[in-house]
Amino acid sequence: MRQDVDLRVDIGRLTLRNPVMTASGTFGYGGEYAPFVDLDRLGAIVVKGLSLQPSAGNPPPRIVETACGMLNAIGLENIGIEDFVRKRLPFLQRLQTPVIANVYGKTVNEYERLAARIDGVDGIAAIEVNISCPNVRAGGMAFGVDAAVAADLVGAVRRRTAKPVTVKLSPNVTDITAIAKAVVAAGADSVSLINTITGMAIDVRKRRPRLANITGGLSGPAIKPVALRMVWEVARAVDVPVIGVGGIMNAEDALEFLIAGASAVQVGTANFVNPAATEEIIDGLSDYLLKFGMRSIREIIGSLET
Amino acid sequence: MRACRQEAEILWNREIAPGRYRLGLEAPAIAAGANPGCFVMVRASGTGAPLLRRPFSVYGLIEERSGAIGIEILYRVVGPGTARMAACAGGDRLDVVGPLGRGFRLAEPSERVVIAGGGIGVAPLVFLARRLVRKRGGAEGVVAVVGAGCENEVLGVDEFRALGIEPVVTTDDGSCGLQCRVTDPLGGYIERQCPDMVYACGPTAMLRCVAQLASKHRIACQVSVETMMACGMGACLGCAVESTEPGVYLHACTDGPVFDAGRLRL
Repeated sequence: MRQDVDLRVDIGRLTLRNPVMTASGTFGYGGEYAPFVDLDRLGAIVVKGLSLQPSAGNPPPRIVETACGMLNAIGLENIGIEDFVRKRLPFLQRLQTPVIANVYGKTVNEYERLAARIDGVDGIAAIEVNISCPNVRAGGMAFGVDAAVAADLVGAVRRRTAKPVTVKLSPNVTDITAIAKAVVAAGADSVSLINTITGMAIDVRKRRPRLANITGGLSGPAIKPVALRMVWEVARAVDVPVIGVGGIMNAEDALEFLIAGASAVQVGTANFVNPAATEEIIDGLSDYLLKFGMRSIREIIGSLET
Repeated sequence: MRACRQEAEILWNREIAPGRYRLGLEAPAIAAGANPGCFVMVRASGTGAPLLRRPFSVYGLIEERSGAIGIEILYRVVGPGTARMAACAGGDRLDVVGPLGRGFRLAEPSERVVIAGGGIGVAPLVFLARRLVRKRGGAEGVVAVVGAGCENEVLGVDEFRALGIEPVVTTDDGSCGLQCRVTDPLGGYIERQCPDMVYACGPTAMLRCVAQLASKHRIACQVSVETMMACGMGACLGCAVESTEPGVYLHACTDGPVFDAGRLRL
């Protein structure tokens, strides 16, 4: 029915059948969404952020809804890289869809060891280096707010793996293009942005923070204009593919990011609201191309007229 | 039990007490897999606000001769999400995902059980009682205690009675039944009768007290908990609950919402 349009995009060496990926931390390890989504239709699956050791995450409450969005402070709860490879990856390996492992460490050495561990693993198409989680004390965003520190980290990861490396950038910086340029110079094959924006919410009756972690990361439609602006800035500043993330709820949102210069998008909070959001966005992109008589989604990437 | 998403037609949405509603939804695929203690995620806001779905226990199945054609939800209006639900009318459609979560383990017919519900926490317990009564062919050995703030907020009494269970009722203000906490008559019953299983759902403070009573008398106890939740299917990890094991969190959506009380730090 929609076979006449070409949704393929290239993220460096990686060719995706369409530009719709899942955002880390919003799609579990993939299998959670199998009842709702044909996982083989996705452009790529980015799994929950993985650390060397399993991590319990933050105390509850961990989430709260805010105007047009939500705050989370999950604290990167995950099963650890070894359990992921042993227990979750076999399911993902049976899919046609590329799997991208999002990783985070508390030290440069931990990131290096994660990259080295993944380097030899079949069925992981690329590594997404998380230097932007606002909810963990050590590591996480600490690596993502200083260009020199970010570049050192990405260079170290680059030396440990032959797999494509994408770096997930934090919006909680003065100039995101400076960080983007630094990690590209250090060897990043692509950049994904934005991670959540640090925020907070207070229960005025109790005069206590609504999150046990006090602050959390804001996601959802509330952050889309900020994400879009940053994607547009970064796409003009670097010569590697940019993956747009932030509040994408439907195909029109995804198209905005592609037009602004993103080569692909990640769908995050929308998965919570509508578990079939990713597939609906893929269909919406096809419909758009058909409607406007275009053959390939690549025709619209970076096509913004100003 | 495989979860699915349905645009469910509202069969009825009745205010049965101030701010308390019974919502009937035509959702055969969800009803087919629903067990006592499981839940559904409901969105009443289309593509607008509020953004996230809201979790609700299944209150009961809507059965016709052909089988279960839908589910019923018992809910209280607490914020914008439930206010949107309350504004819906028969014939409207709601976006529902379910059934989700792990429900109650059913006691054997020979086991004596006591069911304790606090306020809107009665919601999963009526469905449970129905299944227990069906399994044992009668209400023998099933006792219920239902508590609330005041008479208006006492829920589920007629439903328990219809099953042949005469619930003990408590209210904080004494406007109905005994003026005490639901855990007072529950504690007395546990002490005298030493039942085999306690089932409870209600405010966390109540569940904590129920769990302590059960633990003190070495009685198995299953509690259904409520938490903030974004996805309901184990992806967001937002619904963490503290376990008795240091540094280990469980998740209300996939490990629960029903837990053996001994596993939780309530």
